[in-house]
Amino acid sequence: MAPISSVEYLSNPLVTSNQLLDLKNSERDNGLSVRFAQAQLTSAAGILLRLPQEVIAQAIVLLQRFWVSSRPEDREGFSPKTFSAATIYLAAKLSATPVAPRSVVNVYAYLTSKASPLLFVNPQGAPTDPDPADYYVSEGTYERERQRLFVCESVVLVGIGFDTRVALPYSLALTYIQVLGVSSASLARRVFEHLNAGLLSPQLLHLTHQPHALAVAAIYVAARETGIKLVEQNWWEVFDVDREDLGFLVLAYGSLANFAEAEAKKWKGIALSLD
Amino acid sequence: MSSRSTTIPHRSSVSSTTSSQPPQTSHSQSRTQQPQRLTAQQLAERVISPASILFPHGSTPPPGRDRLQAQRRSPFPMDRRHPSSFQQLEKLGEGTYATVYKGRNRQTGDLVALKEIHLDSEEGTPSTAIREISLMKELKHENIVTLYDVIHTENKLMLVFEYMDKDLKKYMDARGDRGQLDQVTIKRFMQDLLRGVAFCHENRVLHRDLKPQNLLINTRGQLKLADFGLARAFGIPVNTFSNEVVTLWYRAPDVLLGSRTYNTSIDIWSAGCIMAEMYTGRPLFPGTTNEDQLQKIFRLMGTPSERTWPGISQLPEYKANFPSYATQSLAILLPQVDQLGLDLLGKLLQLRPENRINAQDALRHPWFQDLPDYVGQGRVQVSSSLHQPGQLGHQGVVPGGYGTQPGLVGPGGY
Repeated sequence: MAPISSVEYLSNPLVTSNQLLDLKNSERDNGLSVRFAQAQLTSAAGILLRLPQEVIAQAIVLLQRFWVSSRPEDREGFSPKTFSAATIYLAAKLSATPVAPRSVVNVYAYLTSKASPLLFVNPQGAPTDPDPADYYVSEGTYERERQRLFVCESVVLVGIGFDTRVALPYSLALTYIQVLGVSSASLARRVFEHLNAGLLSPQLLHLTHQPHALAVAAIYVAARETGIKLVEQNWWEVFDVDREDLGFLVLAYGSLANFAEAEAKKWKGIALSLD
Repeated sequence: MSSRSTTIPHRSSVSSTTSSQPPQTSHSQSRTQQPQRLTAQQLAERVISPASILFPHGSTPPPGRDRLQAQRRSPFPMDRRHPSSFQQLEKLGEGTYATVYKGRNRQTGDLVALKEIHLDSEEGTPSTAIREISLMKELKHENIVTLYDVIHTENKLMLVFEYMDKDLKKYMDARGDRGQLDQVTIKRFMQDLLRGVAFCHENRVLHRDLKPQNLLINTRGQLKLADFGLARAFGIPVNTFSNEVVTLWYRAPDVLLGSRTYNTSIDIWSAGCIMAEMYTGRPLFPGTTNEDQLQKIFRLMGTPSERTWPGISQLPEYKANFPSYATQSLAILLPQVDQLGLDLLGKLLQLRPENRINAQDALRHPWFQDLPDYVGQGRVQVSSSLHQPGQLGHQGVVPGGYGTQPGLVGPGGY
């Protein structure tokens, strides 16, 4: 077998057009909305579980890999919510900050209950005085949910071929900003905001582009937004990103806010079930 | 780095499905080829309808890793993925998170090792199993045990490995003279071991648990690394690692001192311990506790100080009142090792991790020079010559000298 080059550790397996086609064909009408909501749910759960953003990002990328690499019947077995829970549990387990299955079950019970602050769960917003009984998980329910979580986890693992390593763009982005000589807290913050938002993109950016391209595009967008001048020349070429990829990603990052707004409008007043 | 022009290397596929089903498309490694230039409008269209990136303009899907390729490579027929396609034979051993059985492929009759993973009711799929599978499916090398397949059923995970005859520990007990192996065998095994380790390190994988029980020998007398349950990839950025790794006896002093920033050098230390053990038939540093382990190491290698090891006093487990030992000569402890062998051993067993030789350089050590670059044929001869009993002391070993050596009095049962 060909030896694995060190680039592997800065890069991710990418999706083929056939895989994307299959995903699109197997998805129902609101597939995009479900995936968008599922990514938000995963992100929210990661925050409540006090997981580092890297772990949350890894979970979302694993989830995306699972979508494209699994068979439709594998995806039928569990709800989008359970897949989200399984990937965050899996990503945390492999990290320096594992979480107990009980915590995961509790957090997901809360986030999908009447008390949830997530708009696609409670379109009217969370009640001001939520009743803890709404998201209380009894011992019996927990046993069942944990079992479901574990089986779902193994389905995910098999679906992604046990390939759990995810290269992320965060540290690359910081290095690039420094190399460009424009390092500042405000720019770095905006870059990270874009990178975090990009995870929610239904365009599966982490499956279509390598981390270095994501980092460069996020810097490009963020620098424009914060009015920071970058060198005149085609600086992205230094980082091995061509104009075309950059253009695609810049539009992807730039259009995400509009997409999110359109989604919010589309589902205004309607709950989107992930159960 | 120029990852744009290079295709991303294929990770070899481990086919794992819940049952024998039609092949599914698996995650592909290769990025789509350079699309044609897009007009601004086309670009915008792509974004407006994200799904349109499904049709990369003018690109053909690259030859990614696909299942069919994997099946051709595999020695097993199509329905191999079902657990029942293997006949389970006797139990070979019980690991930390798995039970290993000898198995036979019902169709081909080939022997395999079946590692059955207990799905933990507390943890789900054990993280050690996930690590092992994700690393093993990429580490394909002559001196690393091959993972053929992963069979997954609802409540069981079964790894199908290449069958190996026995582990080094058992081999030494069975073939050696009171556990001692002859010089030629030791040299070949060390070369195999270091080749396997070098390959791991080149691929940024630390084994972290090298010991005779994890080194397997096949009937051709080849040694291969196994049990990657504790192994992990070391990438960038390096998180601090757990220091709860490597069986005590083969654990490097820096790890024992609580260092969490260890690297490839920890496997090199273990290799040194194993080399000495093959000569003597006994573990070199059979410590009982962390502290005892350090003492046994210092008694032979000398107690390190800030002078010999700058920064040592900053390590968590460092104690200023370590008993002070002078460095002993390896030659006195291991009289049966030749001069070049002692030189290599000394380079493997350096207290300071920075001073330890790396696997590649160790393989270039003159000690290996008289070893013909064998092919499998020569190997068979060597191993068959080992079948002959009564090879006692045939290489000038001083028998009986070991038990009296300081630091070599093994605990009972070893």
